[in-house]
This record gives sequence, C-alpha cells and structure tokens, in this order.
Amino acid sequence: MTAIVVGASSGLGRALALELAGKGKPLLLIASDARDLDAMASDLRLRFKVTIATLAMDLAASADPGARILASLADLPPASILLLAVGMSRSDDDGTLGAVAIGQLLAINLHAPIAITQALLPALLESRGTIVGIGSIAGTRGRSRNIVYAAAKRGLETFFQSLRHRHLPSSLRVQFYRLGFLRSNLTFGLKLPLPVAEPADVARKVVAHLQRGSFARYEPRWWGMIALLVRSLPWFAFRRMRD
Amino acid sequence: MSPRRGFALAETDLRSFDRSEAAHCHVQRPDRYRLLEALPSDVPRISRGSGVSYVGASFASDCVVQDLAAFDRLLDFDGERGLLSVEAGARIGDVARFALAQGWLLPVVPGHPRASVGGCIAADVHGKNPARDGTFRAHVEAIEVFDPHSGWLQLDRNRNAERFHACFAGFGIPGLISKATLRLVPAPGGYSLRGVAVAGLVEAREVLLAHAGAPLLYGWHDGRAGRFGRGVIRFGLESKEPVATPARRPGDLPASIKPWPLCAWNRSGIAAMNRLIAHRHGPGQMHVAVEAAMFPLNDARAYFAGFGAEGFMEAQWLLPHASYAEFVASLEGEVARQRPRISLIASKLFDGQAHGLGFDGKGIALAIQLPQPKARVQAAFIAALTELALLHGGRPNLIKDSSLQAEAAQRGIADFAACRARLRAFDPQQLHASMLTRRLGL
Repeated sequence: MTAIVVGASSGLGRALALELAGKGKPLLLIASDARDLDAMASDLRLRFKVTIATLAMDLAASADPGARILASLADLPPASILLLAVGMSRSDDDGTLGAVAIGQLLAINLHAPIAITQALLPALLESRGTIVGIGSIAGTRGRSRNIVYAAAKRGLETFFQSLRHRHLPSSLRVQFYRLGFLRSNLTFGLKLPLPVAEPADVARKVVAHLQRGSFARYEPRWWGMIALLVRSLPWFAFRRMRD
Repeated sequence: MSPRRGFALAETDLRSFDRSEAAHCHVQRPDRYRLLEALPSDVPRISRGSGVSYVGASFASDCVVQDLAAFDRLLDFDGERGLLSVEAGARIGDVARFALAQGWLLPVVPGHPRASVGGCIAADVHGKNPARDGTFRAHVEAIEVFDPHSGWLQLDRNRNAERFHACFAGFGIPGLISKATLRLVPAPGGYSLRGVAVAGLVEAREVLLAHAGAPLLYGWHDGRAGRFGRGVIRFGLESKEPVATPARRPGDLPASIKPWPLCAWNRSGIAAMNRLIAHRHGPGQMHVAVEAAMFPLNDARAYFAGFGAEGFMEAQWLLPHASYAEFVASLEGEVARQRPRISLIASKLFDGQAHGLGFDGKGIALAIQLPQPKARVQAAFIAALTELALLHGGRPNLIKDSSLQAEAAQRGIADFAACRARLRAFDPQQLHASMLTRRLGL
C-alpha cells in the first residue's frame, strides 16, 4: 500500500519519507522542485530498495493538485496513507501582505491540503487508510505575527475536525498534529523561547501512530500545556505577548 | 548582513576542529536546491560540509557559510563499474559503509568519518597509504559545482577540465561543490594488520619504503626528547577471509568534541598515552574489519577531548627523501633543546606528484600534533619546526596547519602564486573565502 507524502523535500516531510522508506513502504513523494525529489528518490531507493515515485508540483499554482496526484498513483499499489506535511510561512506575514502573497500562503497551507484530501478520500476510504494533517502551535491564538499562516493552519484544523466527524463510523483514520517549534528551514536562525523538536523524532512518532485511530494532539505533547496557558490568558496579558 | 527572503541566516560561533581558529558567522542551512541558489550572487560565501577540518576552511566572519548537511544523499550506484554518485554533504563514513555493503571500497578516506565528500575534494585529502592510492582526486570521476555567476556546472577530466582539477585542494574557491561521482574498487574481506617497532624516524622511513605496496601504511611515534621517533609502523595486507565488523563498533567520532576542562596532555599524560599506544598498537599481528581500519580516529575521542579548551595544532610536512634524514636529526636536536610537548607524531610515505596547492609529492610526511599551541614554548617550537621544514625543502599541508602563515606557505609551495592565480581565475570577485584562504592570502 502506497504512502503519499506532500511536502516531502524538507523538514518533517523529508523525515517522514525516510522513516516510511525504512519500513519498506512504497512512496509517492510530492514537492515543488524535481531536483530535490530526484535526489530523495534515488537515495531512498539505494538505501532501502523501495518503490518510489515522485511528482513535482507547485501547490501555490495548481488549481486541482488532487487530480495530478491521482494520475501519479496509477502505477503504484493503492494509496493507504496520506501525510500532508506541507507548509509555508513568511517573516513579513504581519498584516502587511498583498493579495498575491496572501493567496500563496492560503493555497499552500489550506487550499492544497483540503483539495488533495478530497481527491484522495475515496481511495483512502476503500483502503481503510490514514490521513495525517499537520497544524501548528501558531494556530492556537491569533497574534500579530504569522497572521495569514496561523489563520490557514486554524482553518486546516477545523477541516480535519469536520473530516473526522464526517467519517467517524468508518475505519478511516483522521489524525491531526499541532506541532510546536520544529527544527526546519522555517525556524532556522530564529531565537525561540522553547526547545525545538527534531523532525526525525516527530516523524518516528507519527509513523508509529498511523494505525492508532483518529485523534488531534500536540507534538511534542507538552505543547498542549503551553497552548492551554496561551488560550487561558486574559486579553490584557495576552496582548502584551509580542515575542 | 540582514536575513533576506528566500533563505534564513543564523548567527553562530564556529570553530575549527583543532580549536585554534574561530569566528562569529552568518550561517545558511539550505535543504533544497533553490535555497542554494537563493543567495544573491554578490554575497561572499563559503560552503561547509561537516566542519571537521583542523583549520578554518569552512567559515569566516564576513561571508555566508552555506552548510550542506542536508545534501547528504546517495544519487546513483553502478554496481558493474563501481561508480557511486553522491551529494557533496554526504559523510565519508556513510558513503564508505554503503560501498562496503555492496562489496566495494573507497580507497582514500580521511581519518574523520564525518568529513563530507565535498570537503574531501576541496582539501584533496589523503588516506592510509598515499604512496599506493594517491590522494582523493585519483578516485573522483566527475563533480558538479554551483558558481554564483555561471550557475550549475558539470566537471570531469574532459568537460571543464581546468575547473575540475582546480576543485582538488581548491579550498572551495572554484565554486560550491554539490555532487561528485566516486570510483570505487572491490573491497577486501578485511585486513591483516601488523606492527613493526622502530627506534627512530629514519628507521621508520626504511620500513615505510619496504612496505610501499600495502593498502594500509602509517607510523605512530613518540615525540619526547630522549625517546624521539620511537614507535611503530603499521601496515595492513588485504585478507580474503571476511573479518566481521565488531557488533559493538565505536560510533563515528563526533564533528565537535567537548573538551575536558583541563589539558590532559602534560608531560605525564603524554608519557602515559605513549605507553598505551605501544601496548595497544605495538608489534604483532591482528585481523581487523575494513571499516575499523578506515577510521581509527573513532577510538580517539578522549585523545581529542584531552587537549582541553585551548585545543591543539597539527603541522604536517612532506620532506623529500634526500633531505629527510638531515631534517629528522635537526628536528630531534630542536626537540632536545626546546623540550616542547608533542602529543603524537604520525608518519606516512608519499610517492605522487604535487598538484596545485595539494599535499602530495615524493617523500615522507610527518604530522606533528601539539597541545596548547599558543603557549610560549609550544609556539616557539612550532616556529622553529616551520623554519626547519622549509630549510629542508618541506611542503606544508595547508588543510592541517592552523599556524601556517602566507609567507611560509609561499616558501613551501614553489608555484604558490601561480596556483593562487589559477584558482582566482574561477572567482575573480573573490566571493569564496574562508579563514584559511584569508590567512594564506589565497
């Protein structure tokens, strides 16, 4: 059964691909640059002798990314796992972005994951598979930074809630991770107030839990306490949290 | 320098493996090809593999350090011809283990298993017997580099041949090395490793010459006055019978080793270490797995930590055969006179041709490691050693010696100025720079 990793060329997506290849899963890797995908596919084939297909696609420019993924699955075993490890943030996402930049952030963080999920849903229902969405601690409460990004991630979480609600009686597993700080190109160079998780550690947990039903959780788990605290802060205190 | 859109920069302190050179740097850690390209073409930069060079070859304070750790993938393997293509950030230990699992061997590897393939090319490293296997350049078929102005370039002995050759011991100046194709040879089952005791460095030369064809050949020697040069020459012969890698093999030596609070290599510590080396690696014969023979430094974590926060330095000089005995006698006299603390001397036989700024030629190479290189006695000895080596026609290893200054490098490498001009022809704006290239005036 094939696992599909969207956003496979970096960070958590790359770590997920490595973890799944190590378990012998056939993979369809999706990212924007064919050069990154070719290198990853070659490496995983040589190290783990697994079947790897790739699809280079710019999610910000694709109106129907799901259709292209379905076409790429034609020569692979049926899809049973969809991992939406895609995400993009900008340092200037502070309420000053223009329409094009806003559209790009929404397309990558919200539209593409929803459209891909909808397109693959019949196949995943048939295979009694698993859909994994990746949210962010940024979506816990809106702040003056990462404004569009946080809104998109919050929207994605709502979509996953609906998905889980809609398919509750079926054996489709709907899993949603709200990630804390993760070591990646998004966080590189930032001075962060709390520890940064390694993508390989998070990927190991995500893959280990693929068969464990539907849930939404923080990862690392202690971020749940932070989120609770942030949500519970009275406005006069919360509005002072600028860093 | 401020962070720009398209790539992230972190500010961090970087230090050479010998702890002698350090700088506060702007570091980019790209994980996709477009991020490698994202750096504006006029920004000074230097690429960094694992950062395990003894000297500051992969960083400088006023340029962007492009950390290639994410570009560590295997790209292609031709099991018929023994050709392996990898990204330049691939660590040589990982590459060697993959090759061994397929029955192939990379004949030239440096001692540190975390050295990157790109770093091995940029430094043109040598292995366990350079007289037999040459340097890293002899085992590279093709290279891909990224030049900020020319873009991605494919190099081999026929295409862009001048730039291809310039990449070896080019210290990153001809461009960012992104990929390489390595030529492998069939792997032996293991090695039968023997040790021959020698009473001095002159006798060491005779033993090295007598075993010039052995795939493993190097010596370890005592550097103390009164016992100067005593040691053991180790040579390994290929064994057809497979020798299994021990189930509890030591992990790879870390890229950065936390120093002990104090320097352990005082006179008593050095005496104890030499006794340990004589006990563990003295005369005799043993069978070792290929991987263990390739990376003996994996057992040397305590040795490097023992240098303490002040670090160490290694001066490595290649002495012509004709002046070698005279050099050794002079050096022994200098050791007796100054009584420096030398933690270890390593000897190797070279029988190649000097290329560019690389470390090759015909003669005996002596690598001399000293703790606390800035201490008065140590620094005075290092200066005397440099002068002695130059007087006897020695050629310095630029990638090892953080004490070496431009004037000494120019005296030690006859065509230094011409080599520098050839390198800079590929980088007229001097965009690629490191502490090493600045110190040597490259």
